[in-house]
Formats: sequence, C-alpha cells, structure tokens
Amino acid sequence: MHDGLARPRLRPGHVLLLLALAALGLAVAFMTVGANGRWSFVLPFRGTKLASLLLVACAVATATVLFQTVSGNRILTPAIMGFDELYRLIQTGTVVAAGTGGLGDPRLRFLAETGAMVLFALLLYRWLLSRDERGLHLLLLVGVVCGVLFRSLSQFLQRMLDPNQFVVLQSSFFANFNTVHPELLALAALGLVAAGLGVWRLTGRLDVLLLGRDEAIALGVDHRRTLTLVLVLVAVLVSVSTALVGPVTFLGLLVANLAYRVMPSYRHAVVLPAAALIAAITLVGGQLVLERVFSLNAALSIVIEFLGGLTLLLLLARRAR
Amino acid sequence: MTLPLLQRFLPACLVLLVLAAASLLVGVGDAGGSEILLASRVPRTLALILAGAGMAVAGVIMQLVAQNRFVEPSTAGTAEAATLGMLLVTLLAPDAPVAVKMLAATATALAGTALFLRVLRAMPLRARLTVPLVGIMLGGVVGAASTLIAYRTDMLQFLGTWQAGDFSTVLRGRYELLWLAAILTLVAYALADRITIAGLGRDAAINLGLDHRRVVAGAIAIVAMITAVTIATVGAIPFLGLVVPNLVATVAGDNLRRSLPLVAVSGAGLLLVCDVLGRVIRYPYEIPVGTVMGVVGSALFLVLLLRRDARHA
Amino acid sequence: MPSLKTIRCRIAALLLTLLCTGPAAAEIPVQHTRGQTILPATPKKVVVFDLAALDTLDALGIPVFGVPAGAKPQSLVQYNEPRFRRMGTLWEPDYEAIDAAEPDLIVVGGRSGPRYEALAKMAPTIDLSGDDADPLGSELRNIRTLARLFGKEAEAEARIARIQAGIASIHEKAGQAGTALFVLSTGGRLSAFGPGSRFGLVHGALGFRPASTDLGAGIHGQPISFEFIAKTDPDWLFVLDRDAAIGVRGQPARQLLDNELVRQTKAWRKGQVVYVEAGSWYLAAGGLRALQATVDQIAAALGGRR
Repeated sequence: MHDGLARPRLRPGHVLLLLALAALGLAVAFMTVGANGRWSFVLPFRGTKLASLLLVACAVATATVLFQTVSGNRILTPAIMGFDELYRLIQTGTVVAAGTGGLGDPRLRFLAETGAMVLFALLLYRWLLSRDERGLHLLLLVGVVCGVLFRSLSQFLQRMLDPNQFVVLQSSFFANFNTVHPELLALAALGLVAAGLGVWRLTGRLDVLLLGRDEAIALGVDHRRTLTLVLVLVAVLVSVSTALVGPVTFLGLLVANLAYRVMPSYRHAVVLPAAALIAAITLVGGQLVLERVFSLNAALSIVIEFLGGLTLLLLLARRAR
Repeated sequence: MTLPLLQRFLPACLVLLVLAAASLLVGVGDAGGSEILLASRVPRTLALILAGAGMAVAGVIMQLVAQNRFVEPSTAGTAEAATLGMLLVTLLAPDAPVAVKMLAATATALAGTALFLRVLRAMPLRARLTVPLVGIMLGGVVGAASTLIAYRTDMLQFLGTWQAGDFSTVLRGRYELLWLAAILTLVAYALADRITIAGLGRDAAINLGLDHRRVVAGAIAIVAMITAVTIATVGAIPFLGLVVPNLVATVAGDNLRRSLPLVAVSGAGLLLVCDVLGRVIRYPYEIPVGTVMGVVGSALFLVLLLRRDARHA
Repeated sequence: MPSLKTIRCRIAALLLTLLCTGPAAAEIPVQHTRGQTILPATPKKVVVFDLAALDTLDALGIPVFGVPAGAKPQSLVQYNEPRFRRMGTLWEPDYEAIDAAEPDLIVVGGRSGPRYEALAKMAPTIDLSGDDADPLGSELRNIRTLARLFGKEAEAEARIARIQAGIASIHEKAGQAGTALFVLSTGGRLSAFGPGSRFGLVHGALGFRPASTDLGAGIHGQPISFEFIAKTDPDWLFVLDRDAAIGVRGQPARQLLDNELVRQTKAWRKGQVVYVEAGSWYLAAGGLRALQATVDQIAAALGGRR
C-alpha cells in the first residue's frame, strides 16, 4: 500500500486545498469569461450548466472510487454494468412507443429512469450476492451480459425507426450538459446528497475493505452487508447522473486514477473528495477550454470519453510493460 | 477422433442437416420455385453455417490462447476493433470493395486482440472472471471511439448494421467472402495440436519444443480474420463464440483437434436455430439474428456462468 | 386571398388585443406542436433550427437571420454562406450566441425538437415537428403557420394549391397504377414502411395501393428480406437511400437492389423503381419546396404532366 516514499511530502489536506482552489478558480472563470449576451441570461444559463457539471462530477467520481474499492480493481467503472445500455434501451423504447413528440414531464421521466436503473441494480445484487460470498466478479459479468442483452434489444427497436425518428433519438445517447432542466437539478442534488451522507458514514469501513475481503472480515467488518450497501450507493449515484445528463462511461476511470496518483494517502475520507474535485476540474475546465478556446459547444462528453478511454489504455499498457 | 466423440459428432451433424433443411424451407418467398431456393435460401443457409462455425471456432481458439473460458472476440475487443476498422475505411475510402474493407477490419482486429493479449500477459492476477471484464472494458473504449466518430459524421444508424448481425439481405453473390471463414477453420484444424499446446501456457509450450510466439500470432490472426470477415458480410454476432465452446467442452474436453469439429457443427447449428426463429417469430418480417442471439446467448451464458460458479463454490 | 380560417384567427387575435386593452400592436398567437406561443409582432430576426422550416421560409422569400451549421440539402446550401449567422448545430444550439442575437422568433422541429424548452426561455419559440401519425397534414399545417406569421398566406396558399393539385392528379393515376411498396435502405439492410408510417404519403394522399396487406397502420418500419420484396411483387417500388442523404457513398441502394430477386418483380421489369430524392424525403422533409419536389418526382415517374 505504501509506495509514498518517492512522493513529495505534501499533506492530504494541502492537496485537497489546492484542488479546491483550482476548481473554484475554474468555476469563476467558467461563469464569466467570454460572456456573449446579456448577463441576466448568461449567469443563470451558465449557473445551471455549472451545477450540472459539478453534480455529475461528484456522482461519477464517488461511484467509480467506491466501485473500484469493492471490486479491488482500478480499471473497472460501474458504467459497464449495463446502466448505460439500460438507459439507451429506455430512451429507444420511449421513442418507439410514444414517438418523438411529447415525451412527458421531464421530472416524471427523470424519476422513472432513475427508478428503473436502481431497480435493475437491486434485483441483480439481491439475486447474485445472496448466492455466493465471492460473487462480486460474477455480479459484474452478469451486469455486462445484461448490458449486451439490452443493446441487442435496442438495436432491434432502432432498426424499426424511420431515419427522422432515429436522429431525434440519437442525441440522447450521449451526455449533454447544455440542455439540463433546472427543475431536475434539485431532484438530482437531493439524490446525490442522500447518497453522499451514506458514503460519508461508510468511509472507515471502506478503508478496511482495501485490505482485502478476508482481512476486512477478520477486522470485524460485515463484508457482505457493506458490499451490498456500497453497490446500492453506486447504483443510485450512477443512475442519478445518467438520468440527468446521459451516459458518461469513462470519466470516472480518468479521475479516480488521477486521484490515486496525486493523493499521498489511500484513506477514502481524502481520496473521495479529491476524485470529486478532479472530476469537477476536468469537466468545468474542459468545458471552458472547449467553449472559449475552440468554440465547440457539445464536444465535452466526447473529449472526456476519449481521455478516459486513453487513460485506461495507458494504465493497461503501463502494466503490460 | 475417438469413438465416443464420433458418437456425438455424427448425431450433431444429423441435427445440423435437419436444421439446414428447416432453414431452406422457412422464409417469405415461395420455396417451391427453384429461383428463390438457389438465389436466396441456399446462400442464406450456407452463410449461416459458415459464419456460425467460424465464430464458434474463433471463440474456442481465443479461449485456448487466453487460457480463459469466458473470452471470445466480443469480450476481447476484437469485434469492436474490427468495427472501428470498417468505419474508418468507409469514411476514408467509401468506394473500396468489401474485400478491402475486410482487410482493414482484419488489421484493426489484430491490433485490438494483440493489445488484449499483451495486457493479459501482464495481469498479476488472472482471475477467471476479471479477464473477460478487462476485455470488455477494452472493447468499450474502442466501441466508444467508433460511436463518437459515427455520431459526428451522422453514421450512427449505419454503424448499427455492423454491430447487429443480420442475414436478411444475404443473396447469391453477396456472401461468398464467408467461405474464407471455412478455409480459416480448416487451417485452425491443421494447427489444432499446436494451438492446444500453446494453450497450456508459455513455459509448458516452450518446454514441449513449440515456437509459442508464432503459434499464438497465427491463432489470433485466424481469429481476427474470421471476426472481420463475419462483420464485413453480415455483422457482429454476440456470445456465439462463448457459449458454444463452453457447451461442447463439457463433453469434449480441451483438446482442440478432438473438439473443433463438434464446436464448428454446434456453432453452425445454434446460429441456424436463431436465424430460423428470427424469420418465424414476426413473419413475414425479420428479427435480426444478432438480436435473437443476444437474447438466447445471454440466457445461455448466464446459465453457464451460474452453473459453473455453483460448481466452483 | 386569406382563407376563412385565417380570417377567424385574425378576428380572434383582434378580440384578444381589445380585451387586453393593450396598444394597437397586433399580437400574433401561434399554435404549434407544444401549445401556443404569442408573438408581440411579426418577427424580423428569425433563427431556424429545422431544415423543413428553413426550406419553407426560403421558398416564401422570408429572410432568416441564423441557421445551424452542418449538412443541408442541395436547395439550401446557400445558407452555409457566412452572411447567415451560425447558431450551433441542429442537435446542439449555441445558446449564448442565440441569446446575444436577441431573435424575435426561434423555430425548432424534428431533431431540434427536444431543445424547445431550453430555447423557449430565451425568445419566443415555436416547435414545428411533424406528427408521425399524420405527416402530410402536419406538414401543411406547419407551412401555413409560418406563412400566416409573415403575412404570406396568399403565396403559400397558391403553392399549397399547386402541391395539392399535383397530389390529386397523382392520386387519380395511382389508382390504376397498381400496388406500391416503400423501402428504406441503410448499410445494405432493408426496412419496409406501410401506410401509417412517415412515408405513408405514398399510399395515403398519393393513392398507391399497398403491395403488402401485412404492413398495416404501424408507424414503424419493419426489417425485411429480398424475399419479401419478391413475394409482395409490387408494381411500384419506392426506395429511400438513407446513406445517400448523409453523403455516405459505398453501396448505393441501386446496387443493393439490382439482384435476382428484385429483378423478377413487376416494378423492376416495368422500370418502376423510384429512388426518391433523399434531401426532400429525409433532410428537409415537409418543407414547402421539398413537398413540391416530392410531388414533382413522383408525377414525373408516373409519366404525367405537372
């Protein structure tokens, strides 16, 4: 665990402070730089965007770190467990059933989508974790298999859409921070805070989990209960973020691994905030640079996905050497 | 081939013949006319047999080389890499003939599979279930790249045609590239003993006097090419390479020379069943075989996973 | 000449103005897919996020201020010139640029439909998405909405009358022209669309008898094989090559369909396979000029005079 010898002797608190300052600076710059239009429009508009970026940053970073801790693997992300594909199947099914016109109250849809994704996760966990003490990797693989199943079904439904319906549908396949309903932000924030409180109470037990399953049990942690609890929290976090802006698959991978690198400690009480801050810096900074420097508005999720994927490949290649 | 295995192989061949006959009889057109039969049914049935056998064989080879039962082209990044190759060549050289596109797809599929194997070799803990997860993550990254390129170029619906296997437009003159899969299957059969030894692991293979590197390279070249040719002609077929070898392994063991014929025949049979189902369920319309296979395959895969896991527990 | 309906609308608007006791500025209520938007006056600065609406405005000679970047059908390529302000893309409007432009009216539809709520907060916005269940009806309604808004009713009605005359003349001939099948091709795969679908115009207003009774009123396409085409054996085969619309070359629909099974059909033997123009059936489908192009193409295929 302790390869901290070569690291600069910075205290975790200092690193967090630096990250927080950077995030704050970027947030201020994001709100003000290059304003084009009336302030009365720009501030609320950018405020909504900033809030959704921060919400997603916190949710995805926390979910990924938790997930990697319980799975003991740093190249996994919870999004591969079928959440993204379930979300896309729900979107496709809605368009097939109800057409592209009115898609109903956004709040209702948000709740329904979050509910469906959490329910899927709960069913999966309940069924698999009750079978076998060592079922975690099995659980992941079953989640992935369900993802392939969902994708096959969406592909069939998409085949039936006419091209005009398809182009309306496809924009919901990617994360979009520009068009977030402000009323959804409050709902999402509520979900996030609730899950965050749960996570905060668990940090001590999470640190013990890092030692491995048997050690954790020897130290008196109810491994199975903790595992189930953590996975439920992960499901809630991923679902809220996905229902809010759409699927973000590899962002978590990028920020969690950066957080492990910059933090001189493995304690969750500092790694989790660090990952969330790095995610915020990545998203807000990325959006700022893309919008102001390259004047690309919708490319953020795309660039972040590439960066996240690249991180994975680098991680894999580094191990391969 | 030993006698007990022959006892399983011959009935399997008989079942395949029955399924092929069913495939010849089921369809929208009037099968009485020799025109429909020769132009559409026979090619479609042959294409199904060739692709099914090829993908199942590709799966079993991948499993030996990666020394993991849950690996196949779609859980090792191979299929996604081949799709990316198809997309890139379609964007850069849209008028290139299918064969050229297939070669490009083979090249990217090879690169993707080689990367996966490199990663595997370096993995400290090659836990049974983490190996396919890593492969799927890798495939996910490559797939995300294709999806994003397709989204920006408005080709997402087009990309879908390679991601979802579909034999509905197979006709005489439009599937013949798939015979390459049959040739590659034969090559695999000729190399079967060496691939089996390579599957024992690098050290064991070298001790037995095998050029491990070359055999593995040859094996993944076969896998990449079968995958690419299938995707270029009919699209990706999920899970086939995974469930068939696992089902066959319960009766035939890990010796490729013995199991390969049975794997090929069973793969062809399973794909035939799925496609005939896809033709019948919503007659006179089609359900693409990729979707049927997605449903049937994931169910079979789950059964395999849970049963095997129960046995190990 | 304003229609009765328009006059009624105007009276209603007038009454509304009187009731509100506002100054004499004529408020214009606009009915659209997502309800009603009231415009204070005839808009001057218009931002359009729908190629069909852009097609209609262009045909009526109404100046447009901002347009989305990206692919446009041949008849609208001039809007890619820099004198038209770029306002993001169809699927991702540049909200701050739009707000800075302070438009009098934003038009969304189809692909940009989901952005309605965000845009409606910035400026009066109308959603002119077509209705999947009644494509032609909703498209004509949308054309009239735009025309009324800019006081071009007379011109629009004349053009609509011409389109409807074209449709009627096709309808007359189509009754005796035999059966038809509408097929979409993409990436070498085929789907058939029936009377209830987006492409049901062929069977509904244009009056071609459906070649397959199975393709009922469903709004969706159905995956089919070449055997299906051979079996239904239509007299007319209408083909939309989606890949051509987005500029993907490779295997065009023509090449895909040129095979033993399709060659047997009556449509192929009589030379009655019509590759519909992708720009007017897909990219700008439902625009005033696109509709006329659609009618012209099919009238020409039927061998009639316009």
